[in-house]
Amino acid sequence: MMKRVFLALGLGAAASVLSGLVHAVEEGDPAPNFLLPSIYADQPAIALANMPGKTVYVDFWASWCAPCLTSLPLYNDLYAKYRNQGLEVVAINVDNPIEDGLDFLLDTPLDFLIPSDPEGEMATQFNVIGMPSSYLIGPDGEVKLVHMGFRPSDMKMIEDAIVANLPN
Amino acid sequence: MLSMVKLILVLTTLGSLTACSQVQPWERGYLAKQEMAWDSDPLERALNDHIFFSKEASSGGNTAAGGGCGCN
Repeated sequence: MMKRVFLALGLGAAASVLSGLVHAVEEGDPAPNFLLPSIYADQPAIALANMPGKTVYVDFWASWCAPCLTSLPLYNDLYAKYRNQGLEVVAINVDNPIEDGLDFLLDTPLDFLIPSDPEGEMATQFNVIGMPSSYLIGPDGEVKLVHMGFRPSDMKMIEDAIVANLPN
Repeated sequence: MLSMVKLILVLTTLGSLTACSQVQPWERGYLAKQEMAWDSDPLERALNDHIFFSKEASSGGNTAAGGGCGCN
């Protein structure tokens, strides 16, 4: 009887651990098709489906994540440099409440698209394992680069990957 | 009767297991706040560490790195 109890406990524990494991988005995977409202109430929703043939750089950020705040102005420069060659930058904000994210954007205006995901729906789909996490999606809809964390010295590698995957 | 009690015990334990949920990286906004740190005052913490290490004749290993945002 005791054996059975332990077996049941073991199976239960295994089941609850397994249910927590979701496949993380990796390089070579098809990108999850995100659709999110913009953080700005007066701007239209943002969807990957609306960017066919473009190179899309998706970044998950929050106002409480220091490396994220370092990276965003640098991504803005990158966007200015390559937007005419088919680059879209989509910086998904996961602040809850979203006002925290908006407060940061008041001081640091950014030109690229900023969807809001306060419930972490897209973060769950991408299975983000650390903040910040970014995903480079090629014009073919395939994830070309997954990058976690951020140091300013990472910019060279990120820029090289973007340039190698620009549509034209 | 005894097996019934055990069954209930097992079911309750299993039920409580599923209640353990992981705080996801994107949900750590509150944890990243300064007042959520073990020691919110860096100076006091440095002083306490200094005293602790002097007494124990050891150094390091008393804390984990990172402020809860999962980025370190």
